[in-house]
Amino acid sequence: MDMRQKDRSDPGLHWLAALFLAVSLQAHAEEPKTVLGPRNIYLHDGANALIAGDIEEGVRLTRRGLELAHGAREEKAGHANLCAGYLLLDQPEEALVHCNWVLERDASHWRAYNNRALVYLRLGRYDESEEDIRKGQALRPGSKTLKIVKGMYLDETKPVTPNVEVDERRSAPQTSDDELETDLSN
Amino acid sequence: MACLLSLRLFAADAEPSPDHDAGTKRVPSYTVMPDYPTVARRDRIQGEVQVCFEITREGRTRRIAVRRSTHRLFEKPAIRAVRRSTYVPVADDVVLSGIKSCRTFRFTLEPTVMETDDPAPASG
Repeated sequence: MDMRQKDRSDPGLHWLAALFLAVSLQAHAEEPKTVLGPRNIYLHDGANALIAGDIEEGVRLTRRGLELAHGAREEKAGHANLCAGYLLLDQPEEALVHCNWVLERDASHWRAYNNRALVYLRLGRYDESEEDIRKGQALRPGSKTLKIVKGMYLDETKPVTPNVEVDERRSAPQTSDDELETDLSN
Repeated sequence: MACLLSLRLFAADAEPSPDHDAGTKRVPSYTVMPDYPTVARRDRIQGEVQVCFEITREGRTRRIAVRRSTHRLFEKPAIRAVRRSTYVPVADDVVLSGIKSCRTFRFTLEPTVMETDDPAPASG
């Protein structure tokens, strides 16, 4: 029996999941340990707005937060989130500027690789997308978001159709199939 | 299919036998196929799982267990599919052997052939 299965995955949800997971961690990573509340409220609220799906507001707040950024960590967080935000606004060229900003200063920023891989995928630059996925996974081997992005990359470049076949087999430890055939024919 | 066909013909022509063992020749009436697991598809994992089970007189499956599998991702979908599958019931005078049936599911991912925009070669 050969049954073909229709692929029911929703590509839109995959994009959101891949970006939002990268954004959410970035937001919480920047919270200081000794001060009550986030240091940069605009970056923090911007990240939360992106996660909530209010992309334009998220981008606006994040840009404001960048203006008030203290130190390289906040700057990187802001640019990484802007990369995600602009991609969600379907402005991949603008998104690429911000991802590049992060990676030029920090080659170990796996979230930026994650987001830039999506940007390259959106731009149809598949080789570069694959390279960023590889670099991101080398930095963060167990990352679920990178697995999602890799799956999206494979769907674009090497699409597949799921197939499930069934093979009816009988297990008869006491008698063989031949003996059963003989019994039924008598 | 030939075996199943011969079984149907025999049942229609012969006298019912109380000693007839129909346990291992049960006819599926409703076969549920498992879903291809999303994570397996995403990560391009293929595999196979064999599930063995008993079939009740009423045609339901029970005591479902995985006999072997190449990846655990496929086990639950296979068990769920077998649990929802049914077989043609048998008469009360049929002696069930209690022998388990087994079903092997093979999960594969086939490359999707896409149309290209290459123009047809010009005739000359």
